[in-house]
Amino acid sequence: MEPECKKRKTRAISTFTWELRPVLSDEKLCEVELLEAYAAPIINTKQTSCLIKQLACLYPLNSLPHIKRVRTCREKNTDHALEIIICLLRDLNGTDVPNGEVSLSDLFPEGKADGIGLGEPFHVKIPAYQPLTRPQFEAASQHWPTTFHENKQVTDALQGRLFNAEKRAKMQTFMEKAIEAAKLGKEMGMEPVGAVVVNPATDEIIAVGHDCRNGSNPLLHAVMVCIDLVAYGQGGGVFNHNKYPNCHFKSLESFSDDHVINVGKPLLPSKDHSSTGAIVNGLPYICTGYDLYVSREPCVMCSMALVHSRIRTVFYATSSPDGALGTKYKIHTKKDLNHHYDVFKGLMKEECQLLLS
Amino acid sequence: MEPEPGTGTGTAAAAAAAFRPPERQEQERWMQRALGTAKEALENGEVPVGCLMVYQNEILGQGRNEVNETKNATRHAEMVAIDQVLEWCGQKGRDRAEVFEHTVLYVTVEPCIMCAAALRLLKKLLFLLNLVTDIPLVVFGCQNERFGGCGSVLNIPTDDLQHSGAPFQCIGGYRAEEAVELLKTFYKAENPNAPKSKVRKKQ
Ligand SMILES: [Zn+2]
Ligand SMILES: [Zn+2]
Repeated sequence: MEPECKKRKTRAISTFTWELRPVLSDEKLCEVELLEAYAAPIINTKQTSCLIKQLACLYPLNSLPHIKRVRTCREKNTDHALEIIICLLRDLNGTDVPNGEVSLSDLFPEGKADGIGLGEPFHVKIPAYQPLTRPQFEAASQHWPTTFHENKQVTDALQGRLFNAEKRAKMQTFMEKAIEAAKLGKEMGMEPVGAVVVNPATDEIIAVGHDCRNGSNPLLHAVMVCIDLVAYGQGGGVFNHNKYPNCHFKSLESFSDDHVINVGKPLLPSKDHSSTGAIVNGLPYICTGYDLYVSREPCVMCSMALVHSRIRTVFYATSSPDGALGTKYKIHTKKDLNHHYDVFKGLMKEECQLLLS
Repeated sequence: MEPEPGTGTGTAAAAAAAFRPPERQEQERWMQRALGTAKEALENGEVPVGCLMVYQNEILGQGRNEVNETKNATRHAEMVAIDQVLEWCGQKGRDRAEVFEHTVLYVTVEPCIMCAAALRLLKKLLFLLNLVTDIPLVVFGCQNERFGGCGSVLNIPTDDLQHSGAPFQCIGGYRAEEAVELLKTFYKAENPNAPKSKVRKKQ
């Protein structure tokens, strides 16, 4: 088989010392929250659809659309094949249930529905929310079946399968550039932090910068420097970077006429990931569609500057004590904000840790 | 605190100790000017946010949003004003940490998360010397529900961030209605079909 040989080739160059991890929102990482509920075996399966109808009226479970009302019985050698959720424990508020022991007559008020065909009710725990990731889905299914719309990107990212060897090799070269910039900045008395902005559609480097905070402006962190260098490349810009020869940008003239930007398929879908309105005169609006490689986790100011700049993805190597992309905050996933971006950490972690020591 | 009789007033330390937060009347006066800057911005088709940085009764920085002109999305009014103060410090050979510690920012809209973090970072040096004061570094008008870093979305001035400068105080709500009106006017003009204003008060 031909692909076999190809595989072997890529495996040979895929020996990377670093491991890349997505920095997901807290909801995506959290444990499955469970709710107490009552279920009962369906003894007479002919009654199943009738029972479903009865319960939909009596206990609609409107807040739990992800819960499958009926499941097949997990244990073999029982007298029933199916089990059904009757209600949540909290639905019984006001009903007198001593010691949590309930009978069918407690759950089915007289005259409203009868529950014919059911066996003795029992206690279960069911997932409170629809799972967002495969690990959450697997954990939730242990308790009770739920619906799940898998985001392949997130699953691949969590399993470290999102980037192939070729992509990883490219990512490494971009981070190497950032490290080189950090070293050159350090020689000028700056904090050893470097950053590179890349157009992932063409793999062009748009800007390379290092931290300049120990110069005349204490706010010139590497990320802020890069954002301004991108602006220069688009005919704007604010700061005088002449003093720092190792901070440079790709100039307006050198962009090809049909400058491609690929907004790509986001890991964390949000309203504004679309590229509509992003391209002005053939150039993107600020950093739209671009990726940032930075040797250490950005601070609050820089992380929010990247929200304002509409960056697509951030790759960083090491965490910072007050970092805002995973450590102290996850600004890139903050619900209230109007732009979100993907973040991966760990790229060339060891090399970048050496920089800081 | 009244200075004790007999204490000298000539040293820098004494000058720093004598610094007091501005009185309400004075705050109103500066905010009036910040609103004027915001109005000018509106007349020039820019997001109507105006700000002033005042040090010892002197305006060292005055800014409005410059994102469109510079193609740099970080050029908010506050960042523009901060750069002017830094330049002033450079020209006068003044210690910028000392200047920022005694500078009050008047801004018509609550600073965003980025600007709030920038203001924190500028207070670093004196914090290390344990000279933190309770001076309200920021006096603002209306809340910024979309990006606000001083309570609306995050609370950067007082969060526990030991490596990110020093905490600072904020006072909000000065002439908030006028500041909101300006923004509403701007967004209405920008998108006449917009069903709602983008800046509104959370109820
Ligand atoms: Zn930063
Ligand atoms: Zn701002």
